[in-house]
Amino acid sequence: MRDSITIEAPIPKGVADFLPEKAAKIGYIEEKIRRVFDLWGFRRIITPMLEFQEVMALGLGEELREKTFRFDDRQSGRLMVVPPDITPQVARIVATRMRDYPLPHRIHYEGRVLRQIESQSGKSREIFQAGVELIGLDSPEADAEMVAMAIEVMKSLGLADFKLDLGHIGYFRGIMEAAGLPARTEALLREAIGKKDASAINELLEKEPVSETVKGQIAALPRLFGGREVLERAEKVATNDRSRRALENIAQVLDILDIYGVTDYLTIDLGEIRGLDYHTGLTFEGFVTGMGDAVCSGGRYDDLTEKYGFPAPATGFAFNILALLTALEKRPDVEASKTRDFLIFNLKEDRREALEITQALRRKGYSTARDIIRRDYDNSLAYARRMNILRMMVIGGDDCAPDEVYIVRVADQKGIAVKMAELLRDDFVLPV
Amino acid sequence: MTDFITIAIPKGRILEESVTLFKKIGINCDELLSSSRKLIFENQAEKMRYMIVRATDVPTYVEYGCADLGIVGKDTLMEQEKDVYEPLDLKFGYCRMMVAEPAGLATDDDPSSWSNIRIATKYPNVTEKYFAAKGIQVEIIKLYGSIELAPLVGLSERIVDLVSTGETLKQNGLVEVETIAEITTRLIVNRASLKTKHRRITEIITGLERHV
Repeated sequence: MRDSITIEAPIPKGVADFLPEKAAKIGYIEEKIRRVFDLWGFRRIITPMLEFQEVMALGLGEELREKTFRFDDRQSGRLMVVPPDITPQVARIVATRMRDYPLPHRIHYEGRVLRQIESQSGKSREIFQAGVELIGLDSPEADAEMVAMAIEVMKSLGLADFKLDLGHIGYFRGIMEAAGLPARTEALLREAIGKKDASAINELLEKEPVSETVKGQIAALPRLFGGREVLERAEKVATNDRSRRALENIAQVLDILDIYGVTDYLTIDLGEIRGLDYHTGLTFEGFVTGMGDAVCSGGRYDDLTEKYGFPAPATGFAFNILALLTALEKRPDVEASKTRDFLIFNLKEDRREALEITQALRRKGYSTARDIIRRDYDNSLAYARRMNILRMMVIGGDDCAPDEVYIVRVADQKGIAVKMAELLRDDFVLPV
Repeated sequence: MTDFITIAIPKGRILEESVTLFKKIGINCDELLSSSRKLIFENQAEKMRYMIVRATDVPTYVEYGCADLGIVGKDTLMEQEKDVYEPLDLKFGYCRMMVAEPAGLATDDDPSSWSNIRIATKYPNVTEKYFAAKGIQVEIIKLYGSIELAPLVGLSERIVDLVSTGETLKQNGLVEVETIAEITTRLIVNRASLKTKHRRITEIITGLERHV
């Protein structure tokens, strides 16, 4: 087949084909996440891959609206989109299809979203997400549940060196409301604060006729990060009601998170204001050492479901599966998820025995595949190695007696003969 | 390696100034100044690691988290718009990014009347944004060096480039017409590093801040 013509079949930039080795690892990570979501009582919903543009846009901020893939629907003549974010879809579903369900909703989802990106940024346009939404609760306990659950997922994935970074959009908005700056300046300041660019912030403020107090409050934002002590510093900085309420809210959430026993994983950053436009309260992102992108992000969005006609306080978050894959890929358990247990290599003329043993192994829970192709021992072994199959089972041949099979560990070719009757017993333990 | 702090630094003048500055906060990295061809240096005792990279690559290494911190000119940051924190202006390496043109053209040229111009530059993104904001159409020719040559041989009418003393411009018969931005060297920080190593990084930022 090597000799046949190779068709050049490129795929667009920013998307990828995941071959079995990687896909297995992604599946493993998704399963771990799903397990935690289930344990916390969340139920899955499945959202569609297409939405009408004007419906989707209700729940999207300007930034995501610009990054949305759009095209014409030939059936309806309306503009359609591939969702760039699943949360507004969940908001729509809850507001329109689940109105009669009792609150709160505990919903989880897995899916892929598409977002346009700058060319040559090396970033992916396709984002694999797994997330939850907790809708109908405005209490700090709901926010704490989200944070604690995100930490639980990261722990269950075996991550140790990570932080959940809490922010609160209310603190920033309180300061900006009190400052009363023109919209253009506010947008520029937002960008500079997001980058913690102290000198750009000072430069922008110099030109504005606002009091030194206000300038001091805004200039303080990029340095308001660290542990819980940040709250005390922040309280001295901002005196307006909204900012104070935000700080109280964080303190309440932190107290509950202390009961969950996760305080050591937390940092606070009040200058972190780059959350999505629909966020209204506590926001958070998960960071793993050595990785630039956040592995999860989320927060409170109390006004979103109202846009679909069903006012309800809500919070939620999503994991970026490919970011987790980068962080975890080399770990032994994740690495192991790409392996399979047995390749059955039959040297006998009759296939009956081989098929019966294959089925028996599957019943015992071993992933087992038949080689089927007629080739010699060495080539079968090479195939097993390439396919990450741990053991080859030889049926027939000279390595064992007629009532035995020969099991070879692919890694070191160490082999052992096992009685077939033994193999089929319930308490059989693999010798290699 | 996760308890190490890794800093990406470009070769050249920024490197020398950085070594001097870090020494003031008790971080000794003199070995970076040796003429060695090594690209990575490690100080086990101080748990610091240094990477020598091209200036234009510094934001990339930091954005992807290969380095926790980086030292780089504001011009590179403006051009690339990477997702990194820029918490500190280190104040050295001052220059201006400006529009320049041949002295002959400048005598009766009025920038407010420009409508469709051709510009050679190393900074196509900054140039495009700057002129788009002014409502001027530009045709941009991306060059990698010796930008001053372009107007002399008719490749473009004007250039956008960095100027520190203005001597190169003068010797090539060019004059400055507009300043786009004042440029200094910045300390940049990877987002995850600031959260996961916030104590050590905060120490470095506040320490450096006292000496700039």
